[in-house]
Amino acid sequence: METLFGIAVDGVAYGMILFIISVGLSVTLGLMRVVNLAHGAFAMVAGYVASFAAQGLGLPYAAALAGAVLLTVVATLPLERLLYRRIYGQANELAQVLLTIGLTFVIVAGINYLFGPTLKRIPLPEPLQGTLALGPKAIPTHRAFVIAVGVATILALWWLLERTDFGIRLRAAVDDPDMAAALGIRTERLYAATFALGTGLAALGGVLGAELLPLEPYYAIRYIVLFLAVVAVGGAGSIAGSAAAALALGVVDTAGKYLIPNFGEFFFYATLILILFRWPHGFFRGRAA
Amino acid sequence: MSAATNHAATASAPAHGGRASRPQRLRDGAAAPLLAALGLAAFWLFPDDLGLMTRILTAALYVLSLDLVLGYAGIATLGQAAMFGTGAYAAGIAAVHLVADPLVLLAVGGVAGGLIALATGTLILRGRGLTLLMLTIAVAQIVQEVANKARDLTGGSDGLSGIDPGPLLGLFRFDMYGRTSYLFALAVLLAGFLVARRIVRSPFGLACRGVREDPVRVAALGGSPKRLLVAMYAVAGVFAGVAGALSAVTSGIVGLDSLGFSWSAEALVMLVLGGTGRLWGAILGTVAFMTVHHLLAATDPFHWMLFIGLFLMGTVLFLPGGLASLADRFTRGDRP
Amino acid sequence: MPGTLRTALLGAVFATSLAGAGPVWAATVKVGVIAPFSGPFATVGQTFKQAIEVYQAQHGKTAAGHTVEFVYKDLDQANPAQSKALAQELVVKEKVGYLAGFFFTPDALAVAPLIDEANIPCVIFNAATSVITEKSPRYVRTSFTLWQNTVPLAEHMAKQGVRKVATAVSDYGPGIDGETAFKATFEKHGGKVVDSIRMPLKSTDFAPFMQRIKDSGAEAIYAFLPAGPTTLAFAKAFSDTGLKAAGVKFFGPGDITQEPDLPALGDAALGITTTFNYSQAHDSDLNRAFVAKHKELFGSSDTVTFTSVGAYDGTHVIYKMIEATGGSSDGAKAVAAVKGMAWESPRGPLVIDPDSRHVTQTIYLRVTERKDGRLQNSEVAAFAAQPDYGYKVGK
Repeated sequence: METLFGIAVDGVAYGMILFIISVGLSVTLGLMRVVNLAHGAFAMVAGYVASFAAQGLGLPYAAALAGAVLLTVVATLPLERLLYRRIYGQANELAQVLLTIGLTFVIVAGINYLFGPTLKRIPLPEPLQGTLALGPKAIPTHRAFVIAVGVATILALWWLLERTDFGIRLRAAVDDPDMAAALGIRTERLYAATFALGTGLAALGGVLGAELLPLEPYYAIRYIVLFLAVVAVGGAGSIAGSAAAALALGVVDTAGKYLIPNFGEFFFYATLILILFRWPHGFFRGRAA
Repeated sequence: MSAATNHAATASAPAHGGRASRPQRLRDGAAAPLLAALGLAAFWLFPDDLGLMTRILTAALYVLSLDLVLGYAGIATLGQAAMFGTGAYAAGIAAVHLVADPLVLLAVGGVAGGLIALATGTLILRGRGLTLLMLTIAVAQIVQEVANKARDLTGGSDGLSGIDPGPLLGLFRFDMYGRTSYLFALAVLLAGFLVARRIVRSPFGLACRGVREDPVRVAALGGSPKRLLVAMYAVAGVFAGVAGALSAVTSGIVGLDSLGFSWSAEALVMLVLGGTGRLWGAILGTVAFMTVHHLLAATDPFHWMLFIGLFLMGTVLFLPGGLASLADRFTRGDRP
Repeated sequence: MPGTLRTALLGAVFATSLAGAGPVWAATVKVGVIAPFSGPFATVGQTFKQAIEVYQAQHGKTAAGHTVEFVYKDLDQANPAQSKALAQELVVKEKVGYLAGFFFTPDALAVAPLIDEANIPCVIFNAATSVITEKSPRYVRTSFTLWQNTVPLAEHMAKQGVRKVATAVSDYGPGIDGETAFKATFEKHGGKVVDSIRMPLKSTDFAPFMQRIKDSGAEAIYAFLPAGPTTLAFAKAFSDTGLKAAGVKFFGPGDITQEPDLPALGDAALGITTTFNYSQAHDSDLNRAFVAKHKELFGSSDTVTFTSVGAYDGTHVIYKMIEATGGSSDGAKAVAAVKGMAWESPRGPLVIDPDSRHVTQTIYLRVTERKDGRLQNSEVAAFAAQPDYGYKVGK
């Protein structure tokens, strides 16, 4: 029983990190139809910025987190204007893959140049260190925090998309871009805002998840398959889908490693194949919200 | 609506669904003799680089197989290494335990690559877009894990070594200077190119191209889009398997990386760089990518990724359609 | 045929050196180094290169009057086919007389047929699977093997009264070597291995493995992961999931606390007990000079670690080979000349075992602790003259 509970808690924490990073990818893929393989690179950049802010400049964790998210969004917006805008739309898929792989390589090389190839940490503040007794199991406080932030992110996104003007226009544009444009929705600005949202989420996940997905220059390439898996299973553009997919994959991966550690990889990818075979369009058939 | 549908390659390949234009036909006719001539010229010009050039030729055949899948059937895949690696391991295992004849080993690799493509293609080709992409990745990862676990047969992460093929045609030994390897690889690539061209021009190849452009119409005309795609996937699997076997024979070793995600991704990059849907674009892209990689890695091994990244981005922004489109502009006399 | 080619090749070496500057009688001997200089393991190549430069700064760039020149080739990840192609290029095009480097086992294994055919010695700076030196008589290795580090560790643990241990290793050649070596030794001394976990190399979330270790009731773990990103996550998970607090002891080969990773590991590294062939904190004049030269040349000595001494001592072996062969490239003669060779290195006394052609060396028991605000691996005991226990085991 304790073991089951333990697997569930670990799986959910892992899934939440996957969710926070992947949902940004899902949103941009759902709206702009752009397969952004550099998404993981954005998460990584934020992690490095936070690490530098905390260790190099001595800023507190919260400030480093906020600063990293903000800086990453600001730094990537010009990319949206200069690069991504040229490749929006599903007809460009191959160009998207090539351009974003190229961009990823450049970012990896840049990070390697600036920070070196060794691991970087984001030191946790006092309250997030140590463990928290949760029923029969002691879980790291940091994991509990990650789960809480994940839940908050789901709620905030739901509110943003269902209850705000931005959300209404966004959903309209996802369902029918031409019609939305005809109705006077300025899709250019909408795209830029959505891109910023996606990058911001990647950045948030990159910083929070640094304990689970350690920061090194190859982060950008190492984990992108994982993020894509979440989006594929959840359905592009679906927040509920991404959440369900991230949690399911997180728990499956954790359980697989626990039960049959020697065949953990099999378990994960076999499940992925089964799910995609059963739901080829993802759990929620890909719509915004 | 389904979010991530894709019609891969429609963007970068020029619309040449119907009859080929005259200059294009001329160019296609010249491609094979040109390839042979350049290959032989390189043999005389760079006698010290035969090892690298052999690997380029092998990779070119592998990327060619991806072009069959992506450029002619519109299947976006990031798992082509599954077929390459299976062919390489099959040939390697056969070489260690059963036969030494290099041609037989190529056949073994081809059959293995074709079978694995047929088996997995049936399973995964119902997906589209991102779903399909993930399925191909997952299949390749599983195949890689199988190879990792079957240590007794494959050597696991240590790699399968001890592959010592007999002389080619009983006459030419594979020595460390790589002359036999290079000429053998060149001949296999040429043969592969000619066969691939036959295939894409056959009714079957044209039907596949039809599926890529409009699956509904093919279905309406009584064809089975899925069956066509699976068939093309398997055919390409044979090509990839032969390429894998060629790698095993010429290098004498097979590693888990031959099944890895990055090898799949690199194939895609090389193909799109060269230009999809024209076969020789695959060869051009491979030669360009691997040469640039080699030169940059030799001068500054620390940051070649920066240059290769910029190179890729530059291609997308200023040369959509890949390097092959340069040749199009040239022969058509278009201004860029 | 190969004979004449080799003569031609030698002729070319002489021709190039004659054309160059320097005394007429001296030849330039080239050494090809294959290692990761880009990618996730780029630090390894960097430590190799820096150690070689330190050696040359201390001992000069000539051996027996011959200029020794190093040619570097980047191999970013385990890729045996590429390794062989690079080695081929080094031999055929660069005309190197020696091959060296190699971080990963498959990359080292890949060149066996080539070094045999070309009769070239190959000095391995790292790749640690025991089986390598069995595959060609021209391999000489100056690093360590998993067996070499694990056997004294398992004996030490048994002596300390540890009875129930869970092993957790990365699922690849060296990991499996470590697991086998540990089980064999530990059970021979009356201990019990209660769970053997093989973790996929790509794992980053180790919480489930920790849960499993907890459920197994082990008093201690033996863990091996390749140095680098995964190690950090593993060691952190160990302390985060409460295993450390619960009193489970953490043992393993020293890769897990290699010096470049220590700052990132932070407090999670405290109290980990390892056995290894080198610690930057090793107390000897030679080591202090080695580290100081590093600092002088490159501004920092933080990354000096086991791969550094592997390359440093490997360079020494190559110099001795060049001296013994008078600059000619006769692999068999060069290897024969260093068999049984003994010398003092920054890590302690070394002997090249004539059978396995692997270094017999002192293995140190270390505890990771904080000293003057900096984490270091402090040596607390030494096990002298440890051979490669894995040579020809079960083969």
